[in-house]
Amino acid sequence: MASFTPYTYIQCPCHDSAVQGRTADDASPTVSHELDEDDDDHAFDPRAHRSTFSLYPLEYLLYCDVCHQIRCPRCVSEELVTIYCPNCLFEVGSSSLKTEGNRSTNPRAFFAQLQKLRYGEDQSKHVVSGDTSPTKPDSIPDTNKARFAALKSFYGSQTINANPSAGLSGLGDYGLSSPGALTRIMSIYSGNNMNGLKQKNKHAIMREADSTNEGFRLVDLDESSAISQLRRDGWDGTATSAQGKTQVEEGAQFADQLWPIPYLLRTKRSKRCPVCRHIISKPEPKVSNTRWRIRLAANNNAIPTISIKPLNLLPGSGSGSGLLNPLRPAQFLLTFKNPLFDDVKVTLATPATTPGRFASRVTVLCPEFSIDANPDNDMYLDDVLKDGEKERQRQRGDEGIHQAEAGKIWDRGRNWVSIVVEVVPASLRIEPPPALLRKEGDPEQDLSPLREDEDVLEIPMFVRLEWESEASHDQVGAATTRDKDAKEKRELAYWCAIGIGRISQE
Amino acid sequence: MSRKPVKGEYIETDTGNKVARKAVLVGTQHIMLGGKTVIQADAMIRGDLARTSQPSSTSGAAPGAAPGSNTAVAIGRYCFLSKGCCLRPPGRIYKGSFTYLPLRLGDHVFVGEGTVVQAATVGSHVHIGQNVVIGEFAIIKDYVRVLDGAVVPPNMVIPSFSIVAGQPARVVGEVPEGGHEAFELRELYKTVGNNPQPLPV
Repeated sequence: MASFTPYTYIQCPCHDSAVQGRTADDASPTVSHELDEDDDDHAFDPRAHRSTFSLYPLEYLLYCDVCHQIRCPRCVSEELVTIYCPNCLFEVGSSSLKTEGNRSTNPRAFFAQLQKLRYGEDQSKHVVSGDTSPTKPDSIPDTNKARFAALKSFYGSQTINANPSAGLSGLGDYGLSSPGALTRIMSIYSGNNMNGLKQKNKHAIMREADSTNEGFRLVDLDESSAISQLRRDGWDGTATSAQGKTQVEEGAQFADQLWPIPYLLRTKRSKRCPVCRHIISKPEPKVSNTRWRIRLAANNNAIPTISIKPLNLLPGSGSGSGLLNPLRPAQFLLTFKNPLFDDVKVTLATPATTPGRFASRVTVLCPEFSIDANPDNDMYLDDVLKDGEKERQRQRGDEGIHQAEAGKIWDRGRNWVSIVVEVVPASLRIEPPPALLRKEGDPEQDLSPLREDEDVLEIPMFVRLEWESEASHDQVGAATTRDKDAKEKRELAYWCAIGIGRISQE
Repeated sequence: MSRKPVKGEYIETDTGNKVARKAVLVGTQHIMLGGKTVIQADAMIRGDLARTSQPSSTSGAAPGAAPGSNTAVAIGRYCFLSKGCCLRPPGRIYKGSFTYLPLRLGDHVFVGEGTVVQAATVGSHVHIGQNVVIGEFAIIKDYVRVLDGAVVPPNMVIPSFSIVAGQPARVVGEVPEGGHEAFELRELYKTVGNNPQPLPV
């Protein structure tokens, strides 16, 4: 079985536009009805289909310091800062982008592509011409684009010839922009429909395209050459479907039909808060510069990181397989690390049992605690202050901790706190409940086999943070100097999903 | 006899490099370590694959010239070379004769177990997973994550903030804004050596 790494996903508040809660097929209708009525009471279900789209690893989240809210990649609005070629790392101006499209036009990049292609397919028969400019053999002059243009001009001329008064100038604009179109539409809507129809009937019969310069091409149904090539080159000689899709319009069947494609350009983007439109992330515009002007990542500016590790108090509680034994209590250490320069009060809440078909019991032994401020990340200071830290612990009276006791934290450090969470994993056995316990009108049990990742014990946890920070001096005014010491109360609350481990299927 | 100090697993230099005694360093005169670099057991650095002295320039002087003038592998600060990885300078035909060209690693470069690096340049803050092959003359810019098992083709250029995976490797994602600090290797540096410290929480 694949190894399991514990994870924490955090829910972005942008999910709020839709009603959360269990989908109808998962829960009894009565429960879902209750959920709808009392919005505050409903617990977040990380397994709901919709949740997949609002849960993010902490690193992907940003924090708007004006709205004081989490922002995810899905809800921020992005703006292009720089467009560049990922191979030659040159910036591409937006003007050349309009003329050349979003592919690199640098011959160097093209050459590199060619080399890469040759690396992939050794039997590639293309010869690199000296000037490294893309040249096409004569065998494929009629690309789809060229044929479409020919067909378009042919049929355009046909319609004009057939009905010059209607002036259907081209197919591209559906003939609506020409002045003739207006009279045509007017004649349709002005009541004398018969007249309009009669006019149409008078039209000469239009000829279909029938020569190559009109864009006509006979389909080559003789595939014997392709079959013989397939016999000769085998599987390795064919292009993969991904290659075929990215290739020129015709689509390549064989590896020797592949052509180097210019690199797709890449961008540097800044991100704006969707609500207050403040920029919350902005890279330096130069391609070679990896610094950021603004980078309000959530893990540096608001949200404590949560790390999970098993707490092996009882020998044998963690079996060698790394799986959780069903119905056997297991304890885990959750360590919260505070990124803020202020003390943070944390309040946690979890449902007593995890949602889903297999309800594991969850107990957070210490749902309320405070984490000390993050000191400036100075390594030397860290070492010097280690003793002072112990002193502080003594003062606080939580020395001699390390006990999995209700209401007490397990361990604390300079800017982190560990707490114990006890889980009783559910049994994954799928069997109907005993007939004795079944009541009249109970909903039908879902007895379908175990679905993907249903054996993962995932705890929905509501985290509420409270801290006092320097008042933000957004408004430039006289008050700023006076209120310098004024503290502002901040609050942030969010749901997260904590994946603790897989439950053994014995 | 028993007063002899017990040999640690690592040799720790003045500049803070921690080199495992079981590491294989070939051609040490061509290897430059920036300091605070960890080289674990069985990691191999092929310093012997230095640039062959050009016949055009004063042929005799090149090997005996100032140390470091003909560096084969240059490594920055806080790099971490895991067990069994191999740094190998790339080579090609240059002006009619085959020559190796230097391999440069920036700062905070992690190289996973069993990985072979033949890149021309690896930038700073780069994480290369385990069992990865970096082809010859690949250029990896800063803040790049190469996932386990990837095979980066020769001459590939990987721009900054890319996540790369697959065989052959392709850019599969972008390093998120909050993921930059994860490339720091200062803490990891402290966890190895002759008196390793536990990783802080």
